[in-house]
Amino acid sequence: MARGRELFRYCATRLALAPLMLWLIASLVFLLLRVAPGDPVDAVLGSRAPEAAKAALRSSLGLDQPLWNQYFDFLNRLVHGDLGNALINNESVRSIISKTLPASLELGITALIISAVLGLAVGFSGIARPEGKLDLAGRFYGIGTYALPPFWAAMLIQLVFAVMLGWLPVGGRFPPSLIPPEGSGFLIFDSVISGNWSALQGSIRHLVLPACTLGLLLSGVFTNALRLNLNRTLKSDYVESARSRGLSETQVVLRHALPNALLPVLTIAGITVASLIGGALLIEVTFSWPGIAMRLQESINQRDYPVVQGIVVAIAALVVMVSVAVDLLVAVLDPRIRY
Amino acid sequence: MLIGLVLAFSQSACQPSRQSERLTVASAGRISSLDPALASTAGVLQVLSALGDTLYIRGDNGNFQPQLAASKPKISADGLSITIPLRRDVLFHDGSRFDAKAMAFSLNRFLRIGSQRYLLSDRIAAIETPNTYEIRLRLKQPSSSIESLLTSPYLTPVSPKAYADHADRFLNDRFVGTGPYTLSSFRNTQQRLLPFSRYWGARPNNVGLDLINLSNSTALFGALISGEVDVLLSNSIDEDQKRALSQRADKSLLQESKGPAMNITFVTLRSNSPPLQNQTVRQALAHSLDRRLISTRVSYSQREPLRSLIPPSLRGGKTQPWPTYNLATARKLFQQAGYCTGRRLQVPFTFRTNVPSDRLMALTWQAQLERDLPNCVHLTLNGVESTTVYKQLSEGSFEAVILDWSGSYPDPEAYLSPLLSCKRAKGNICEEGEAVAGGTFWTAPGLQEALRRSDTLEGNPRLQELISVDAIAAKGAPYIPVWFVAPKAWAQLRLNPPTFNGNGFVDLAQLGERR
Repeated sequence: MARGRELFRYCATRLALAPLMLWLIASLVFLLLRVAPGDPVDAVLGSRAPEAAKAALRSSLGLDQPLWNQYFDFLNRLVHGDLGNALINNESVRSIISKTLPASLELGITALIISAVLGLAVGFSGIARPEGKLDLAGRFYGIGTYALPPFWAAMLIQLVFAVMLGWLPVGGRFPPSLIPPEGSGFLIFDSVISGNWSALQGSIRHLVLPACTLGLLLSGVFTNALRLNLNRTLKSDYVESARSRGLSETQVVLRHALPNALLPVLTIAGITVASLIGGALLIEVTFSWPGIAMRLQESINQRDYPVVQGIVVAIAALVVMVSVAVDLLVAVLDPRIRY
Repeated sequence: MLIGLVLAFSQSACQPSRQSERLTVASAGRISSLDPALASTAGVLQVLSALGDTLYIRGDNGNFQPQLAASKPKISADGLSITIPLRRDVLFHDGSRFDAKAMAFSLNRFLRIGSQRYLLSDRIAAIETPNTYEIRLRLKQPSSSIESLLTSPYLTPVSPKAYADHADRFLNDRFVGTGPYTLSSFRNTQQRLLPFSRYWGARPNNVGLDLINLSNSTALFGALISGEVDVLLSNSIDEDQKRALSQRADKSLLQESKGPAMNITFVTLRSNSPPLQNQTVRQALAHSLDRRLISTRVSYSQREPLRSLIPPSLRGGKTQPWPTYNLATARKLFQQAGYCTGRRLQVPFTFRTNVPSDRLMALTWQAQLERDLPNCVHLTLNGVESTTVYKQLSEGSFEAVILDWSGSYPDPEAYLSPLLSCKRAKGNICEEGEAVAGGTFWTAPGLQEALRRSDTLEGNPRLQELISVDAIAAKGAPYIPVWFVAPKAWAQLRLNPPTFNGNGFVDLAQLGERR
């Protein structure tokens, strides 16, 4: 009962601190964008537009206002859930996020499932004979995939499977000859709901290469985490006592060691989800995946302040939510944890 | 196993068999808006050229031809009024009729909200509609370049009915114009164009187009090679991949077409302070540039050497007044300026880090000068992101910087004015105007008058005036032209070779199966 109260207090504190964290992040992004050289007006008008035209646009966008005014205006809008409009084409930032975030989440979640399945399978495979060939191969795999430069691996996979073998599409998210199903923006989900099987097939075909590449690159983290934790757990006292009670090695590993060794892996999975939301940029760029990271990068280049601010705040909010959820899950699963 | 299953599912029954008779056309970059008032990138203008018409076009031979206009413009004796008769058989995609009021609506909308409205507002005082099928432009001063301006896709008319709620704001994801195609669906990375059944002109050779926008060179290259796309329109692919495509075209595995060059690259020299204030030093640098070597090293000779501010594809661009590479003359000029004899000119040379060819050009020129003139000149390289370069150019932050320029319309004036015009000058130093915005701070006696005069002339006299402006600039050498880039397009063998119009855009309606 007391533990339940502690957990509730911990979660309430984390959630109460979330707005503070978001304010800090939003303020930092606001400031950094203004300090960075470059001008959104150049992106709209071109670098050779007359100064008078630039000044007029700057005024209409409110960029000629004192920084404090711009900052308070931004915060005021943010508090009211208004992320503003893009400077480049006046599209609402909320609409930009709702169009691009599902693409990133679809890629990220699929990649996470692939990486977890692949990474845990490889990590677990060598446990029967530590330092054996399989264990060494797993270790090599773990380090190798983690160390692979993402852009290089992505390009190589793209060249082999899409260009040379022609098995899968080179890039994009959906076949150009079809109209994507309307709905949540998660194309696989929307295709299933609408019963559009050719759209489903097209979506999956486009997802396979980027998701497998990202999954492969991330799987090493899971492999190494599981190997290390499982090795440590297998040497612990309670595992020894299980063995001394005459349990078979399979029972010891599966029923006693593995569940405990998986707990830190869960935390790592949480952190990975958080980093995937905005961090899959190189994969998105290589495979022309129209996700939020690619849009963020483009908006940074164009110095489109509202879009950058809006996307960063949205990603930060998601990261906070995911990390609180993971903490909660770990606390529920692991009775030893105290807050 | 999971990957195997997914792969098996995704492979089943979806091998290259074509799902549609429409052609798939790939290009680089996302399309954030199809509003002509906002258009500026080549990708958007290319799509707009298929969805809309303009009053006039430059044909593939570069000739000025009426499109929505019924005939050539009638210019008043004082040059201050241009009257354009319009076609009477044109409909917008929403079925409403195109007339003078619709054209005036579109031009006024562009003047109010267009991102490049200064191009029109500097010239046009008023837009009148004397009758249903005639539009009159009242000019602030005579302007012969306005005819070329009227060929620009961002001045394509839009339906006043469809844009009634967007007369003063952008409409990003729809387009209702008069062109051979209607916009059937729009996403930032995918657009579908279908032939407009009531189009006044010739019907397209294809049943429609699926346009896709990919974000990197390898994806564009791979999509064409693997047969995933039918046509590739892009200059945004890496030089080695461009060369590989050209080699495949040479072996008759692909079709390659080349359009008129609209993009020029040059070195900008800040001419308002020593050492580059000295014209002899600038001339020495101009003589020292081995364009052919640099083009070979950077682009496998695909970027062609340029010695003019006017692209050779435009009339007036053949004269090439800048000096050729001449080591002896360069050394002599450096010596005249007091270098080479124990004193070495140090030039900080800036390149845009996000433009790969700029970096390669800077590295190659630096090495070439070390080889050719080691005692005379040394370039110190400095990489800066392009957004920062554009912002700081007019502040005089860069002694020498490599930049590029594409004219807003196919006319020499669209290159010379934005690069050379100056509103206020003291001697050879420009204090206000485009020369300041461009980072040269340079002007010359008589140059502004020649530019102004050219806009009051027509035909050959105008051309000669513009050529003389180019020659004055070559003498002063505030810029050193490096190369020009002709747009290219590649198509699968079963299709007609892509054709370009005089504005450098592929005529998408001409794409179709070979007969």
